Amino acid sequence: MIEWIESVLGLTIQVGTVYLLASLGEIYAERSGVLNLGLEGIMVMGAALSFIFTLAYGHLAAILISVIAGILMSLILAVMAVYMRLNQTVTGLALTMLGLGLSGFLASPEVRKVILLALNPSLPESLLAIQEAPKLPEIHVPLLSGLPIIGCFFRQNVLVYVSYIAAPLMWFILFKTRPGLSLRSVGENPAAADAMGIDVFRVRCLATMISGGFAGLAGAYLFLGFQPFWQEGLTAGKGFIALSLVILSTWNPLRAILGAYLFGGVEVIQYRLQLFGLGALSPYLLAMLPYLAAIAALVAVSIESVRKRIGVPASLGIPYSREE
Amino acid sequence: MPPKIETRFGRIRVERRVGYGRLYSISMTLLSLALAFLVVALILTSLGLDPIKAFQVIFGVFTKPSLLLESIKQSIPICLAALGLGIAFKMNFWNIGAEGQIYMGMIASTGIVLLHEYYGFFYEWMVMPLMFLTSFLLGGAWCLIPGALKARLGVNEILPTLMLNYVAILIVDFLVHGPWRDPKGYGFPLSIPFPEYAKLNIVLGDPAYTGLLLSILGAAAAFFLLEYTRPGFEIKVVGQSPAVARYAGIHVRSTILLGSFLAGGLAGIGGLSIVSGIIGRLRPGASPGYGYTAIIVAALAGLNPWVIVAVSIFFGGLITAGGALQMSMGIPKAAAQMIQAVIFLMILVGEFIKRYKVTIERPRVDEE
Repeated sequence: MIEWIESVLGLTIQVGTVYLLASLGEIYAERSGVLNLGLEGIMVMGAALSFIFTLAYGHLAAILISVIAGILMSLILAVMAVYMRLNQTVTGLALTMLGLGLSGFLASPEVRKVILLALNPSLPESLLAIQEAPKLPEIHVPLLSGLPIIGCFFRQNVLVYVSYIAAPLMWFILFKTRPGLSLRSVGENPAAADAMGIDVFRVRCLATMISGGFAGLAGAYLFLGFQPFWQEGLTAGKGFIALSLVILSTWNPLRAILGAYLFGGVEVIQYRLQLFGLGALSPYLLAMLPYLAAIAALVAVSIESVRKRIGVPASLGIPYSREE
Repeated sequence: MPPKIETRFGRIRVERRVGYGRLYSISMTLLSLALAFLVVALILTSLGLDPIKAFQVIFGVFTKPSLLLESIKQSIPICLAALGLGIAFKMNFWNIGAEGQIYMGMIASTGIVLLHEYYGFFYEWMVMPLMFLTSFLLGGAWCLIPGALKARLGVNEILPTLMLNYVAILIVDFLVHGPWRDPKGYGFPLSIPFPEYAKLNIVLGDPAYTGLLLSILGAAAAFFLLEYTRPGFEIKVVGQSPAVARYAGIHVRSTILLGSFLAGGLAGIGGLSIVSGIIGRLRPGASPGYGYTAIIVAALAGLNPWVIVAVSIFFGGLITAGGALQMSMGIPKAAAQMIQAVIFLMILVGEFIKRYKVTIERPRVDEE
């Protein structure tokens, strides 16, 4: 029984980390008033780049490149949505389409071969055609990993540990420090923040870049830490689920941990039900669970928001301009 | 006070342009299209592919009659979905779910065909009208879910419409892997091929012609609705300002429900045009993202129904070119998707340049 719980919990953490990493950055962007709907596209780009660069240079370079690519992609969004004041929904969607198209293009066998040879001419022929890359190794924390049940928290790869540290740290910065206060005030009332001498455009631009960096990291983790074989569009809407999760967590990094593991759990239940007799119910119907859960979460939060007025960043989605 | 960005070279000023002509607007759109192809050329060149040859293949699509017909065929679902999106976006309802609504339309039309083929439910002449009716209803119902969530509970529609895309695709996967699989299909996940009476080839025997007629009829209907009817007017007022709409005595909730239903219904008919016009049966991944392309088309056409018809043929051509590029140059099919996204981004930048004037003031020497 304990073994079963441990395996389910371990898997829940592994899936949940994808959502956690992606939503941590997005919380910053949305708290500053920018909806980064490009999350899905940035994640899939992160996955594609970490695939290519792991084969060429190894894990560390791959993760770094994914994060940098995520920051650069979100910079496109920042310039267009913050400085040019274009509609954030449409711009973010365009970015997602770009990520899906570009990742499919770059990681397709024909183009990938060209890129790999350009990056590292000494690669053996066998690596040029494979669809998978080595997974990130698990690191066992001494003593803690031997504990029953919660030990599985400490038998994970390095990016999971990064998420353990990042979540409380990002909560602390957002709620307990001056830069965090500036960021929240820009999202609540940009005109007032501007009058106080905060550069609204710069803060929003930075927050968007943070969300891009984390989305790139989430993509790299999804590929290297969870599912290290490439297929086109392998994020399958995980970026959009992370966006719903941000709302469910009411823009709070600590609550995002719970939400991420909840959604991770929903996915794991889906795998487990397939193993039981319910597998006869068709894997395709079970695969709907995460999406339906996301809609249910959105509905639940909106009902509650009517009642309690949870802290939606007041200027979320509204471009700031000094003219009006 | 317009925002100013101080740089080393001077001060960048961004000012709102006070009105601009139609000619200016069109030339700016064309300029952004040209810019998009420049960006694509840069990407292709950096990977050692010949962009000029690639563009010859892409634009060659519109000169060969057979490929032009194929482009028109590909444009039908895009056009119908984009017409629906035109209505939704006019209402400020951000329906990103046209893809899912297309899939529901495919399910409805295939369901009718199977009912008739397996159980002989209807007269043969009834099948086609019933397919139209049910695909419109099911596509509309699929969009009505987020519509109702928005109207009743105030749930923002963006994420629910997106999520329902994945759900609809999975329903199709379930059906063709399970109950709707062709018993003579050697186990492949395909429905039975559609019989002739369920195919879109009434006019001149090619689905492209019937489809083009369908697109034009759809555009006329959308145009008439938005310009000459009361509900169309209400949809536009709700889009501009729900507060004004309420003040004017418009029932905002039911307008949102109606608008989202019509938008989904048009996309549903787009789904019909895929299974009974393009493919002739239901299979997984039957729509390679027509519903997403439709968003780009609606944006590029400025939500004008007539322009949507023309622009979707251009994008149908791009999708057709994707296949041609793969065959003649070995460029992967995803390239077409990438080109679409680059065009989308550049058009958005073009919108900015249309609306604002950017000037750089050089610092004068006597100021230093």
